[in-house]
Amino acid sequence: MEQIYDVIVIGGGPGGYAAALYAARAGLDTLVLEQLSAGGQMALTQQIDNYPGFPDGIDGFTLGERMEQSAQQAGANTILAQVEAVELAQPVKQVHTSDGTFLSRTVIVATGATPRPLGIQEEDAWVGRGIHYCATCDGMAYKGKTVVVVGGGNSACGDAMVLSRLAAHVHLVHRRDTLRATKVYHQALMEAENITIHWNSRVTHILGQDKLQAVALEEIPTGTVTPLPCDGVFVSVGRSPATQLFEGQLEMDQNGYLVADESTRTNLPGVYAVGDVRTKALRQVVTAVADGAVAATAAEEYLSGV
Amino acid sequence: MSSITVNTNQFSSVVAESQKPVLVDFWAPWCGYCRRIAPALEQIAQQWADKLVVGKVNVDEEPALAQQEAIEVLPTLVLYKGGVAVASTVAPTSKASIEAFLREHLDG
Repeated sequence: MEQIYDVIVIGGGPGGYAAALYAARAGLDTLVLEQLSAGGQMALTQQIDNYPGFPDGIDGFTLGERMEQSAQQAGANTILAQVEAVELAQPVKQVHTSDGTFLSRTVIVATGATPRPLGIQEEDAWVGRGIHYCATCDGMAYKGKTVVVVGGGNSACGDAMVLSRLAAHVHLVHRRDTLRATKVYHQALMEAENITIHWNSRVTHILGQDKLQAVALEEIPTGTVTPLPCDGVFVSVGRSPATQLFEGQLEMDQNGYLVADESTRTNLPGVYAVGDVRTKALRQVVTAVADGAVAATAAEEYLSGV
Repeated sequence: MSSITVNTNQFSSVVAESQKPVLVDFWAPWCGYCRRIAPALEQIAQQWADKLVVGKVNVDEEPALAQQEAIEVLPTLVLYKGGVAVASTVAPTSKASIEAFLREHLDG
């Protein structure tokens, strides 16, 4: 007979592994399904300074690995598999993956969010060859070169700062006339000698044959388009929740986030949403971890019929 | 079998003389995404050990090798058969996508 888990956690980021830790410590049979490796988005953060307990900071990959180890030590298993489809409405839920189907009485969704694309036609053709979504991952390739960062939020400004230490010059392209980023970034950006901010502007095309040579930069108020020579483009225009799998089963808001309040309960009994994928005010490692504990406790109560 | 570290001197012999195809991961210590795919590659090295050898090249230590193999983006995985590069993939998003790449290119 196939094993029926008490809890399947989809996604091995901080929310997922906190849920797995609490579930396993409550004596529940717990499986984490992760597509690549522990940590989720956090794993690509070079240094995390706002997670309590690490006064010298900690890199996101290491923190993710440690969270996995904690959960594992408590008895939770991890399988590296891609979830392809889910059936969540029945009491025994089915999770179909690249490595077979797994059954569980409860499911904790911790799939997080992924970078949003720039939305230009030729984008896919340039991904990895000039268009990038992670400055800390791909920035080193642009040592001494010229790069464009698109966006105006915290992550775009953070990316511009990271790249300004590597690249010869950084152009920050933002569609508004003020930054959305928190104040701590503003002064640093203005003071950096090799960062130019292009206000009220957007990238409409990539120019180049085999190699990216420039972007077409449109000034939004006038519609004037000029080429801006560069070697690479870093897109940092926000994130979209990874919720395609759940369409038609779990309730979502207009941006695709799973609707659940602080209890983490979704519209289906025995299904919980934790971390960045959930509708919430503050998307941080520390709030994801809190969600995980809440969801595991709710799952435990649900399983015992409370 | 776990993955093996390959340097410039061994590269042609390891890759050319292997009885099995060799999947080489070109990576660097500063590359965050390289760290993310490493655990999946270690599992693949063990789970696919009857069909495949997994090698790792640190491009910071072996810049000439990276240049010779025309590696531009990290991480790049290159599949070699009989010493010849037959396919490559850049920054795969999941263990499943690495396995799909292997299934597509290992036979035939």
